[in-house]
Amino acid sequence: MSAERLAPFVLIAPAVLIIVLFRLWPLLLGVNFSFTGDGDRNGAAVGLDNYAELFADPLFRGALRNVGWLVLLLPVAVAIPGMLATFIYLRVPGHRLYRSVYFFPAVLSPVIVGSIFNLLLSFDGPLNSLLDVVGIGPVDWLGDSKVALFTVVGVHVWATFGMALVVFLSGFATLDPALLDAARSDGAALPQVIRHVIIPGLSRTIQFVFVTTMIGMLTSMFGLIYVMTSGGPGGSTYLPEYYIWIQQGQMNRPAFASAASTVLFLVMLVVGLAQVSFLRRTGKED
Amino acid sequence: MKQRVLWPAAVAVALALAGCGSATGNEPSSNSASGKLVVWDWKSSDKTATAYVEKAKADFAKKHPGVTVEFVAQPFDQYYTLLGAAIQAGKGPDVMMFNGGGQIRDRVDALVPLDQYVGPDKERLAGWDAFTKDGKVYASPVTLQGHPIYYNKDLYKKAGLDPQQPATTWDGFTADCATITKATKASCFALGNKEGIGIQFFLSAFGSGILTPQEYDSWIAGKRDWNSPNVKKVFQLWKDVNDRGLNSKGGNSTTMFTDAFGIFQSAKATNIIGLMSDIGHWKDFNEFIGPDNLGVMKSPVITTGATPSLPFDGGIGYAVAKWTKDPVLAADLVRSLTSTDALATFYANAGAVVSDTTVKTTDGGAAVTAIVADLKTGKPALHVALSSKTIELMGRLSQQILEGSVSVDAALKQLGESDRS
Repeated sequence: MSAERLAPFVLIAPAVLIIVLFRLWPLLLGVNFSFTGDGDRNGAAVGLDNYAELFADPLFRGALRNVGWLVLLLPVAVAIPGMLATFIYLRVPGHRLYRSVYFFPAVLSPVIVGSIFNLLLSFDGPLNSLLDVVGIGPVDWLGDSKVALFTVVGVHVWATFGMALVVFLSGFATLDPALLDAARSDGAALPQVIRHVIIPGLSRTIQFVFVTTMIGMLTSMFGLIYVMTSGGPGGSTYLPEYYIWIQQGQMNRPAFASAASTVLFLVMLVVGLAQVSFLRRTGKED
Repeated sequence: MKQRVLWPAAVAVALALAGCGSATGNEPSSNSASGKLVVWDWKSSDKTATAYVEKAKADFAKKHPGVTVEFVAQPFDQYYTLLGAAIQAGKGPDVMMFNGGGQIRDRVDALVPLDQYVGPDKERLAGWDAFTKDGKVYASPVTLQGHPIYYNKDLYKKAGLDPQQPATTWDGFTADCATITKATKASCFALGNKEGIGIQFFLSAFGSGILTPQEYDSWIAGKRDWNSPNVKKVFQLWKDVNDRGLNSKGGNSTTMFTDAFGIFQSAKATNIIGLMSDIGHWKDFNEFIGPDNLGVMKSPVITTGATPSLPFDGGIGYAVAKWTKDPVLAADLVRSLTSTDALATFYANAGAVVSDTTVKTTDGGAAVTAIVADLKTGKPALHVALSSKTIELMGRLSQQILEGSVSVDAALKQLGESDRS
């Protein structure tokens, strides 16, 4: 083979090597590891035992169910920054202030956010005192298993919507102001402007925010869960990541944790591929 | 032309190689061959442990002048994750710290049995059981950990009760609580169960007041009858105490470390099941409510025939890794880390109740004196005998019991199954 033919391969070799060596190979090792045992059966091949145990564990099934809840809550998590960005774009009084205030939480680490809300939402904390003043009984925001997951998701949305807001605002920059003026002079009310001008004009941006928010919810809730609920009460706020961490770190079952990681990887793969195909399809429409 | 292609290729290969090199250059070091021992723990970076570590190092240096000792303090919340990775790799520290009970018993495959090295310390130190599996000792105890019931004498006085004579029966105890709550608004217990730790403390603190001595001993020996009426009584009491409003509010969202301790320290609760060492112990409480106002009691008698005792075990200890080059040398370091001098310093600075029974504790106030006096009749704590898996399950179920989403019977059934597997 001549040097010219060889050159492209040599040039992509570093990137390929790094991906294979540090991404694919460890991934395969991890999957392979998930078919071995822990403790007394350390290193021995155990077939699908880990996976059978995993799906028999109500805690892990609960964690997967919570992932389902996250997916269902996704529209809310996208709608909030979308609405607020719309108001800023429409220049509500004080919109400059809001733009920076809304973005501010995005620079805080989940641990700090979690600690702040631990104080605010504690049973004898300020929020419950406020509810008491208006005559509503206290809510155990983080200690009631029916409420806790929604509390944590709410805090996650609060902490991260600033980034989505900025993306929305940049989307608005591409929106043709003439369309808005035309709609207004035709006598369209605000809901109509949003429904018929803004949403169609921003469809690409909305899709992008959907994808990034989904990824954010599935991959970066660990810090908040860890700080705010430790998976509780009664395991009601477990997510697969937290489950994996408990099994590996606290139960000393690395192979079992690998099996859970493999399942999480597959879930992410399905979600990711669905999103990619969704994006590709809508991309073709343009 | 050839040159133009070959140069970038050479640069690319060089870059790829450099990339590999830098990414794999962070292996844990184990250099005992070159006269160096590496110790992992989560204590040595604490200010209160500095003098202890220095004393132990000096003691070791006298015996082995040529060997350097390096302490690597890991963050506690990641300690067992990091250790797990080291064990998986088969290399890491020569000596490492462990909590007694499940954490060390789950990992004895990676440890050297110490019986032949630490024989001379057996009498002087207490708390070996928590570091023993199948008759072999895997670590030397540094501190003792246990669960005294601390109470606030000042609140007793304010309610017109005699703080020197706390009730010894359950009915008397709850009646006193009611009196105190009426007079001072302080709840009976400060409860923190966010981490699921509240139930562990509760089980161990009141277990000796509920189980008969025989039941207690068989539980520790591994013969646990989760269907027995007295075991059920422990968990029923856990629920009743909460249902009757004896706990501080919002227990499931209150952390034991350190919100629940804070409730007790600010006199918003009369009693708390605390610890003996590390944190949430007599020295912490002394600082807030004063040594004269801090009392310690054993469990009231809850079922007739029970003999209340102080539940305690070895708290933390140092073990020797299987992969160390020279186990004798590493075991000698463990012996230095548990020498009387070092432990006396640890007691004085950190307030830990240390494993060395010859260390004097008379200067610490009434509470620590009472704790040390109770050590003689004390027994291993009930929850320490459980596997980490069962402990974790018990934590979750305890939260569900408080919420009312799981019945006591259903919880006991699950716990029994987990304990047997």
